[in-house]
Amino acid sequence: MHAENVYVVDDDPGVLRAVTRLLHSCGHAASPFSTPAEFLAQYDAESPGCLVLDIAMPGLDGLQLQQRLIRDRATLALVFISGESDIPGSVQAMKAGAVDFLTKPFDDRQLLQAVDDALACSRRTCETRRDLHELGKRFASLTGREKEVFEHVVRGQLNKLIARDLGAAEKTVKVHRARVMQKMQADSLADLVRMAERMGIGAPVAPGAR
Amino acid sequence: MNDSSKATAASEFVSRLDDRSARLFLVAGVVAIAYYSGANVGFALTFAPHPTSVVWPPNALLLAAILLLPPRFWWLPIVAALPAHLLVELRSGVPLTMVLGWFVSNCTEALIGATCIRQVLREEPLRFDSFRHVCIFLVCAVLVAPLLSTFLDSLLVTAIGWGHAGFWDLVRTRFLSSALASLIIVPLVVSWTQGGIQGNWQSLRTAATRRQVEVSAIFLGLIVTCLVIFEQSPDSAAMPALLYAPLPFLLWSAVRLGPQGISASLLAVASLAIWGALHELGPFIAGSPAQDTRSVQLFLIAVAVPMLLFVAVMTERKETRRALQLSEERSLKVFRSSPDPIVIARKSDLVIADVNDKWEAMFGYRRAEAIGRTTVELGIYANPGDRKTYVDLCERGLVRDFATDMRDRHGQIHHMIMSGDSVEIGGVECLITIARDVTRQRLMEREAQEQRVELMHLSRVAMLGELSGALAHQLNQPLTAILSNAQAAQRLLARDRIEAQDLREILQDIVSEDKRAGDVIRRLRALFKKGETQLQKLDANELVREVLSLVHGSLTSRYIRVAIDLSTLPVFVRGDRVQLQQVLLNLVSNAGEAMEAPGSVRLLTVKTAPNTDERVQIIVTDGGPGVPDSIMARLFDPFFTTKPQGLGLGLSISRSIIAAHGGELLVRNNPGGGATFRIMLPIQQ
Repeated sequence: MHAENVYVVDDDPGVLRAVTRLLHSCGHAASPFSTPAEFLAQYDAESPGCLVLDIAMPGLDGLQLQQRLIRDRATLALVFISGESDIPGSVQAMKAGAVDFLTKPFDDRQLLQAVDDALACSRRTCETRRDLHELGKRFASLTGREKEVFEHVVRGQLNKLIARDLGAAEKTVKVHRARVMQKMQADSLADLVRMAERMGIGAPVAPGAR
Repeated sequence: MNDSSKATAASEFVSRLDDRSARLFLVAGVVAIAYYSGANVGFALTFAPHPTSVVWPPNALLLAAILLLPPRFWWLPIVAALPAHLLVELRSGVPLTMVLGWFVSNCTEALIGATCIRQVLREEPLRFDSFRHVCIFLVCAVLVAPLLSTFLDSLLVTAIGWGHAGFWDLVRTRFLSSALASLIIVPLVVSWTQGGIQGNWQSLRTAATRRQVEVSAIFLGLIVTCLVIFEQSPDSAAMPALLYAPLPFLLWSAVRLGPQGISASLLAVASLAIWGALHELGPFIAGSPAQDTRSVQLFLIAVAVPMLLFVAVMTERKETRRALQLSEERSLKVFRSSPDPIVIARKSDLVIADVNDKWEAMFGYRRAEAIGRTTVELGIYANPGDRKTYVDLCERGLVRDFATDMRDRHGQIHHMIMSGDSVEIGGVECLITIARDVTRQRLMEREAQEQRVELMHLSRVAMLGELSGALAHQLNQPLTAILSNAQAAQRLLARDRIEAQDLREILQDIVSEDKRAGDVIRRLRALFKKGETQLQKLDANELVREVLSLVHGSLTSRYIRVAIDLSTLPVFVRGDRVQLQQVLLNLVSNAGEAMEAPGSVRLLTVKTAPNTDERVQIIVTDGGPGVPDSIMARLFDPFFTTKPQGLGLGLSISRSIIAAHGGELLVRNNPGGGATFRIMLPIQQ
């Protein structure tokens, strides 16, 4: 049995039961919901998972639910299922990050492939998110001066230049730099730059910007 | 008004005045001359020593003139007669007081007679072809007026002391003389002047030669007979019996020539009889002049009174018979040449008594073949049960528009509508039936009905074409469920991890989903089918559920929410399931399209409710932009459409379907946006 959650939301009870059953038969822990509202009340926003979603539903429809999940920064990856080849709907869904868009009736392999892809995608998202979280924690442990040094270092500035900018002795900057490397658990300067990029800080400043 | 027209009006007035006064002068002149001549005749017909004549025409002439004039001109004959009276009487050396006295009594007689007759008859002119009129005339003008005036006259004569006769003698002679004059003269003048003297002459002259010969023969015979009888020497032995000799001619005249003929005949008889008697000839010469006078008078009165009554009766009978004949002829013509077949049958055994020409033509049997047989023997009724129903209905009274099929001689079937009633003909209870062939009409109705069905079907198919995407979706759902269920089972079986219970559930789901797909297809097929209208009791709630189940997918794929509010009270209607579904489908799919417009609230409400007025309502409300006022009035017009690919038949046909169900299809815009279509159908208990 796979550990990841698979959610199925479809307003058609027959389809809902059948799709859930199919996913069960392949070892997925699938939970059925007949309305988006029920799903929203119960889903796990933190863990990796997959949502198999009917695009056309009364009330909150599939696309609206997708927007809601994006807003909530859910880690789930979405697989849409639709009664007809609704081209504008599918384009919108894919643009907003859906993993796949299946037209009913679909083959089991199509569905399972899409669910597997979605779970992989979701796992990646989770990992990334976990990494970022870790990096953020490390970054938070830096002192104010160390954060300043960090920003300058990832911009590729030499110690001398940093010292001048910060109005400190070069020796002091060196010490700060070593502490940053240690606290951020960076093996090399390149490693540190990658971390900064992932956190979205210290982008290279264009000359003359200041 | 300008001068010339004023002048014209004035000259017209003068000419009219002239015309009227000229006519008055003419009347006055005629009366004066007649009076003068009449008096002379009266004198001539007087037995010399006797003061009163056998017949005294002036009074009768005055009466006739007054009867012919309206009361406001009654003074005219009297004024006109005065100079004539004076002229005649003064010449014969009678004292002036006596002359004036006679004039007064003469005028009194005429006025009494005319007033009495007018009192009884009112505005009606006196006619001698009416028995009642003749009776009135006899009482008023022959009995009462002469009697009253005679007393006055005799009193005057006695008072003045003119002549030597006693009072009662005077009364007797004067009365008989006046009465006879009235009997002979008034009918003559009145019957010949009515319709114009000229006109009467004209009709006699232009009459067929046979009639002219007949008239001549009557008068010739009458005159010859009278000459023979009344101008013979009085001592002939067979005299009394010969008195009856003119009678055949008088009867002939009465029967054939009417009041005009008899009055002329009586004049002839009277003239000749009196003339003969005056010359001491004929059967009345017996003794004194007074006796002779009375004898002539009584004879003539005795002849004239029954003759006048007889002619009135004869003419009336003739008239009645003619009218009856005319009406019979008309009825027969109407019966024979009626454009609809008519059959008359005896009620007791339903044997045909008569048929008309159209019946013969339609059923191919001749009258002679039909009469004496029954419609059963002829095999007219295509369904003999109808005949019994029809006859039973006729027993209860008038039957209108009884529809049945009939077979003619050649086996051709006619659709007929019959009306029947019981009538008595010649004392026999009969059933008269008027039928109408409505075969062509029926055929046209059926064609129109077929075309309507065709059109309904076409618009339904067109609508289903538009809905095909939605319908595919509707099939997709169960197909998806079936496929996924089957593949789940396959996977479980492949891993050998399946429990019997799971498999049972899966199969159960597959079966029910397959049935669901089958339902969709069956409903679609019903809508695609072109069929005769089949009326049955239907649940409005079920209609709504069925239609929404067909379009549910189409609506949800357009993100339209459907709110169904079905009545908990019974909402049964009588109608054709497919047609009513078509209407609902049309309304719902229109609503769906309307809500594609930007700014729409995507909510479709379908509601059923029993109405207060014995009707069921099905209400379809959308959240679209509503129907623009500019097209509201044309919304139900055929071929009116706002869709690029639309036929413009949907709503037009929907309304005609609902109308054919005895209901109404209404539309209005909601205050908060969107439109509401309301189907109202008679409730079925």
